[in-house]
Amino acid sequence: MAGREEKEEVTIQGLTRVHLSRLDKVLYPESGITKQDVLLYYIRMAPFILPFLRDRPLTLHRFPDGAGTEGFYEKDAPAGTPGYVDTFTHWSETAGREVHFVICNTLDTLVWIANLASLEIHTTLSKSGTYDTPDFLLFDIDPEPPRTFDDVIAAARIVSTHLGEKGMRPYVKTSGKKGLHIVVPLEEGNTFSGIRDFAHRLGKEIARDTPWIVSEFSQSRDRGTIFIDYLQNARGKTMVAPYSLRATPGATVSTPLEWEELRDGVRPEDFNIHTVISRKRDPWREILEDRQKIP
Amino acid sequence: MKTGKKSPEEQNTTTIAKKKPLLVKKTPKTEEPELNPAKPGRSFWSGSITIGLVNVPVRLHTMVRDHSFPFRLLHRDDGQPLKYERVCSRDGRVVPWTETVRGYEVRKGEFLVFEPDELKAILPGSDKKIRIHKFVYYLSLDPVYFETSYVLVPDRSEEAYSLLLMALQELGRAAAGTVTFRSKEYPVVVHVYDGALVLTTLRHEDEVTPPHTFPSLSSLPVPKETELALAKRIVTELSGDFSIRDYPDHYHAAVLALIEKKLAGEKVVYEEPHPEEAKALMQALQETIATLSGK
Repeated sequence: MAGREEKEEVTIQGLTRVHLSRLDKVLYPESGITKQDVLLYYIRMAPFILPFLRDRPLTLHRFPDGAGTEGFYEKDAPAGTPGYVDTFTHWSETAGREVHFVICNTLDTLVWIANLASLEIHTTLSKSGTYDTPDFLLFDIDPEPPRTFDDVIAAARIVSTHLGEKGMRPYVKTSGKKGLHIVVPLEEGNTFSGIRDFAHRLGKEIARDTPWIVSEFSQSRDRGTIFIDYLQNARGKTMVAPYSLRATPGATVSTPLEWEELRDGVRPEDFNIHTVISRKRDPWREILEDRQKIP
Repeated sequence: MKTGKKSPEEQNTTTIAKKKPLLVKKTPKTEEPELNPAKPGRSFWSGSITIGLVNVPVRLHTMVRDHSFPFRLLHRDDGQPLKYERVCSRDGRVVPWTETVRGYEVRKGEFLVFEPDELKAILPGSDKKIRIHKFVYYLSLDPVYFETSYVLVPDRSEEAYSLLLMALQELGRAAAGTVTFRSKEYPVVVHVYDGALVLTTLRHEDEVTPPHTFPSLSSLPVPKETELALAKRIVTELSGDFSIRDYPDHYHAAVLALIEKKLAGEKVVYEEPHPEEAKALMQALQETIATLSGK
């Protein structure tokens, strides 16, 4: 016993500094997916995920007792965070104290996050060095029953057309739950209030012409509507990271898609821990170099 | 040098018999470990700041403490603390303090012997004065010379103290001089920090190696202007205010968490992955590391 305790950092033959634990713990009870499967997913997907996490303050959504439980959000690096994990200290007005956000710039940190059973990884829309300057514009499109994912796709296409008319090149991903995220990478120099106003104006424009689309928070739960949420464009608000797992029964993934992939009949569940890992394409591979102006 | 203090050996023997049972108690979970800053230290020296004919009586308090954990070395078999003894290098016999004398090694194995009285005679005498010679710009001081900081508090001299504090603060100056305590003479600066006069002891000149003596620094290439401009831009972009809170001690937090766990009676076992589990993870890690380093 005593001898084992001295090994503070057991590595897998020098490949990672992370101390892996409870690998056979089932984290998705409906499909029997274990922590090892989750670790394998994040390790294999690391080359795709890491660019989107780089320098962004993270919110970890941890599920120590597996998907299907509520889990808990963690913005503050937990006690025992190892020295190789970078953090970013920021005064949080909502919490009324300083928060030490985890920054994931390395494979080791990603493996550490997965080992914490943080199935979901959420990022801010700005980087730590330029916390007040968003570099992503986000439209979060969600359906209210009986609207379906087909209607979400239709709404997303309308948003995309409007953005296209303004000379912008929007990118799309599944949220991994019921909706879609449309993201436009931005040039430097925007403010959150500026991009929020832009998103709100565009949403109102669309809602005016399309009765089943709403863009006001007060209408967001109206039955039979599709809500274009512009409010996520705010300092400190987060978006589930591209290629993050979701704590859904089917272990879905928030998956970057080509616009052509959004055909009727496509479902968010089609993109999950098993299918995404073998996808050959990375539709967002150029997003970080395609930074655009808000007209 | 006779003092009333116990020798380290005696101190050890008084505690050796106590073996506390391991405390097992549940502590309420706090969200993050409290960082308790160093508490006000006790006063260990009193005297006065002397500027020409002016005296400002002050007491000196410790201000800096090391937060490393005072782990004791134990005998693994019976859990008893080990004590250190001075052992003669020739016959292996334990030598009591009374039979010791100081020696300065002139050549290997050859010593000049100094009797306690000889050394005591040349010790600088303390006259309970912090002698100020001149006032310098605080920002002109280089931290390479800084050793330890102490808080000065007024010793029935609030008005004189306040006057010196305000004068230094408004001029951005620090007082440079010398002080002798614990039989050692130090160069010091007295400067303003956090609403107090703070005394910082400095290294002597010969205690610091001047970096220009390193051969590789004598022929540094002159950077191209474009490169320099780029480097300066990066520096400017990453510029900000320094906050010590940006650099928490993760190892310290990890040790605290470990202590908490052990106090709570939790067994701390680091498990190594089973071989077949490790194999899949190892392969994934190897491939991802190869992909990432190939980028």
